[in-house]
Amino acid sequence: MRLLLFITLAFFYITASGQVGINTNNPQATLDVQGNVKMDESLYLENPGNFEEIRGSKLLILSTTKEILEYDIAQSKYGPINYARFAFRNTSTYGLHDYDTKISTGDYIVSVQGYYFTAANNNTNVLLRSNNANENIEGYQIYAYPNEVTNTWFLRAFVNNSTFRSGANFLENPIDLFLNLIIYRNGFIAKSLSSITVNMGNLETGIAPLPPGF
Amino acid sequence: MLYKTTLFFLILLFSNSAWNQVGIGTQNPQADLHVAGEMLVQENFEIQPLPSVSLVDEDFKFLTRVYNSSPAGEITVLNVDSLTVAPINVIDYRFTNISLDNLRDVNLQYDANKYVVGVANFRYVGDAIKKIPVGNTTSIGTFVLRTFISNGQWHLEIRNRDLNLNVGDSLEYFITLIVYDKSYYRNLPPITTNLGGSNSGTASSVPDIY
Repeated sequence: MRLLLFITLAFFYITASGQVGINTNNPQATLDVQGNVKMDESLYLENPGNFEEIRGSKLLILSTTKEILEYDIAQSKYGPINYARFAFRNTSTYGLHDYDTKISTGDYIVSVQGYYFTAANNNTNVLLRSNNANENIEGYQIYAYPNEVTNTWFLRAFVNNSTFRSGANFLENPIDLFLNLIIYRNGFIAKSLSSITVNMGNLETGIAPLPPGF
Repeated sequence: MLYKTTLFFLILLFSNSAWNQVGIGTQNPQADLHVAGEMLVQENFEIQPLPSVSLVDEDFKFLTRVYNSSPAGEITVLNVDSLTVAPINVIDYRFTNISLDNLRDVNLQYDANKYVVGVANFRYVGDAIKKIPVGNTTSIGTFVLRTFISNGQWHLEIRNRDLNLNVGDSLEYFITLIVYDKSYYRNLPPITTNLGGSNSGTASSVPDIY
């Protein structure tokens, strides 16, 4: 192995105990660099120690310019996981059929992970009625989906063939709709995998195929 | 001591007063210390102060430390695109040819020791289940959507437990599963609170997450 060591001026010290200082004559460790360090290949930390609390530390990231940075979510443009509550006031009695969040499908994965709705002024006296038949219990559809034309995430939140009813005599009225969106940064700690269709073969129990690698 | 002195003078042979930086394996150091190769640190590694991410930074990657590298502890970039399993995996599922409305128990096959599986983006697409008369009123039954652990694997239930779709009617379910790897996502013990028939209450215990 060829090892070449090139150094500078007077800012390079080896103490009597063998400690090396760069830009310091009082090294505090076996190697103490008062300045920046550039590594062209791998860095190995054989025994960095463990930190056993959730609070009191920050994660490390590598920037696109290959600099190691402290990851401070409060300062960063985005978190690995982001939460936003979307409130839709005065929404159609039919619910929400198309809403462009303007969030890029390339940069983020958007999902609806909770919802509720009220009549105006937080009145919880609201119900749903099928417009097809009185005895129908209609299904809910509350989800985010990628729009392949705009390349942004869209939201839908409605109940099949139904209208929201409230007020005196429970007439068709607008609602206030609240969706909890969890927004993952794509390719940071989250990724989207190929969708899976499960044919249940008219059975109540079955086995869904596992994606590769799990 | 003699050896160290010798080393010191040996190093001086390589020094040049025009430079003010140290290079190992390079004659043209680009930093105060520039290692043009690998570096192994056998004990603590401290960096301070470390610059923080800024508001304009994007597409940065987390760093991780590999246990089974040689030597141990190689610092690597968490490149989610090259992993088969990411810390968080988002997968759309569609269920077809369902027995009436009943997904009573679908084995999703995710190992409960490795993963936590949650549901997002629910869609019920198809015919309505019919209410049935119960005494002087009608029942809408009990609609359930949940993941649960059975025999060490994650399972799924979606159905109206008490009522069924009429024979001849059909529906499909669409959901998004969020599959979290447990090395990044902690599964805390369940918290059970007896509400004694009340509709409000206070948690019986708080999870130990501080």
